[in-house]
Amino acid sequence: MRSLIDREPATCRRTERAIEAGDEAPDFEFTSAGSTRRLSDFRGSPVVLAFHGAQWDPARAEHIDTYNRLIGKLGGLAGARLLEIGGDGPWRELRFADEALSLPVVTPGDTSIASCYGSGNEPAVFVIDGDGIVRWALVGPMSLANPTEVARAISVVAEPFVHAHNESAAVHERGAWTRRDFVATTLAAAFALALRPVEAHAQRVAALGKAPESQGARSVTLNVNGHDLVLQLEPRVTLLDALREYAGLTGSKKGCDHGQCGACTVHIDGRRELSCLTFAMMQEGHRITTIEGLANGEQLHPMQQAFITHDGFQCGYCTSGQIMSAVAVLDESWGPADDEVREAMSGNICRCGAYPGIVAAVQEVRRAQASNGGGQTR
Amino acid sequence: MIDFDYVRATDLASAGRAGAAPSTRFVAGGTNLIDLMKLDVERPLHLVDINDLTRADPSLAAIADLPNGGLRIGGLARMRDVAWDAKVRERYPVVSQSLLLAASGQLRNMASIGGNVLQRTRCPYFRDTAMPCNKREPGSGCSALVGINRSEALLGTSEHCIATYPGDLGVSLVALGATVHLYTPAGSTRTLPFASLHVLPGAHPERENVLRPGELITAIDLPALAAARRSLYLKVRDRASYAFALASAAVAVDLDGRTIRDARVGLGGIATKPWRSHEAERALIGKPATASTFHAAADAALANARPHKDNAFKTTLAKRTLLRALTEVTA
Repeated sequence: MRSLIDREPATCRRTERAIEAGDEAPDFEFTSAGSTRRLSDFRGSPVVLAFHGAQWDPARAEHIDTYNRLIGKLGGLAGARLLEIGGDGPWRELRFADEALSLPVVTPGDTSIASCYGSGNEPAVFVIDGDGIVRWALVGPMSLANPTEVARAISVVAEPFVHAHNESAAVHERGAWTRRDFVATTLAAAFALALRPVEAHAQRVAALGKAPESQGARSVTLNVNGHDLVLQLEPRVTLLDALREYAGLTGSKKGCDHGQCGACTVHIDGRRELSCLTFAMMQEGHRITTIEGLANGEQLHPMQQAFITHDGFQCGYCTSGQIMSAVAVLDESWGPADDEVREAMSGNICRCGAYPGIVAAVQEVRRAQASNGGGQTR
Repeated sequence: MIDFDYVRATDLASAGRAGAAPSTRFVAGGTNLIDLMKLDVERPLHLVDINDLTRADPSLAAIADLPNGGLRIGGLARMRDVAWDAKVRERYPVVSQSLLLAASGQLRNMASIGGNVLQRTRCPYFRDTAMPCNKREPGSGCSALVGINRSEALLGTSEHCIATYPGDLGVSLVALGATVHLYTPAGSTRTLPFASLHVLPGAHPERENVLRPGELITAIDLPALAAARRSLYLKVRDRASYAFALASAAVAVDLDGRTIRDARVGLGGIATKPWRSHEAERALIGKPATASTFHAAADAALANARPHKDNAFKTTLAKRTLLRALTEVTA
């Protein structure tokens, strides 16, 4: 396996606390395209470090627009349009029209870099400015499924970088190491949640001072949002807990945990089901879709947009379940009346009482589908 | 939840063998079992997943015509698929309605027919391991007798248990006179009337049905029944949807002009098992389809009701539910 980071970093030390904005970014070594580099080699250019799980697949074609937008924000590379995403397995490469930028993205299964940044095994994004200072840090249970987070991160340093670039382009030319190789962005995806989930979970639990109970865990492959996730799970782990606690997909909510509220609704083989009332092991071989997999890249699913348009939520806790349920309802045999929508959606409880907006949202999408010849939304 | 081991059965024979072992439960939809496992009410050491059985034998989840004009529903068919099936809706509206008025869209996508008819009571004391319950822990006593018993049963109770059978489909099936097909661990099959599947609590409320360890419901047959086409399920709840019945009625009536040629009556939400009221049926058959006939049937159905502190209102409610169901279905 070719790897961006293939050996223990020499100068990087584990840290007890998470690195924050204002801290100096811990230096580390890694290997890229056959030569050993250090993070400090990038002084003069902003660097983005992203530790993420496999649920954010950088190679998904729908991310092309996002990458193009990122490059636009970095400045100096305007017009560098992404042509294709090459490679397979853990190694991906983004190729651009004028070879202005190649962006290696790797999931090496090496958690040591993440530990240097105190991010444990949680998803995290760090934006480091040209002086090696962390300008923006996002660590925690947020999901990096949406590349918008990365775009937001890069925008923090986009302007200063434009100045630096304009003032002294030569600064970026250091020996054989050129901007063209690796200009502004390193996405060192050193996060191994999906590759070593039990270790990740065990370390997280250990950090809380509790011993993990891992006896009886076995390897379970779940197909979630089009990706196979290999998780080490005990039989008693529900699909909901597997998604939230092991795969880092926290969009599906735990409301009652007893099948009475609908907050955990996901699609299994296209049908809406309750992820809290099924064991993850029972879903091997099935196609699971969560709220994270509903949008088409940056483009919201029509039902997501309709919930925004019609104020179909207040606190938002039930919303992912409402939306997953609503999308699937339109593939069921219900009639067009508001009362039918209410009955069809009665398994999703909203304590804020946003029901009028929810009904309006479902009806809008249903009517749009009907006028488009009854086409399915997904 | 205690730890357990999990296996997937790929054929009936291995499922039956695995299921016959002590502390073993079959799981299909899991919607009732996993809920109760989280509550520590169910504590199986072994779980046998039977969902893959349909790969070797698709009929286990199918809905198929029977030569006698009836319909066979596979034990692993999902509530949703049976509820919306065109044959079921046309020939057995009461079955479709009782399914659609039960649970939620998500649960109906998950729950199997075999598991649905075997679902456990919602009695709050059964579900709370801190409280005595003869059904959960034989000999510990019945908390509902003196506790909050609004949801408990009026019919079929004993001094040991007054827990209500919570299902809707079962009420339709007992009214129609359905038949249950079982696969036994010995590799044979056996058949019994749906009305014989569940047993009254008596002195042993922990025993809810006649299934022996390892036996699986492979199919339920709906009989050819003229009255079934004119059938209806009426369910009264604390809220408009997604709740268990306070009272429900499954009715099927075959009319000759305005005279009732045949009638079937099932009652839900008020009895300890899926309840067929032969008393109500006798009060209907051969009589004119009038309000006074229906009143007499409702009185007959609840004549043996034994209410407790908080659930006496359900006697009247159940009568009115049956009255309205009969009125609507003969309209």
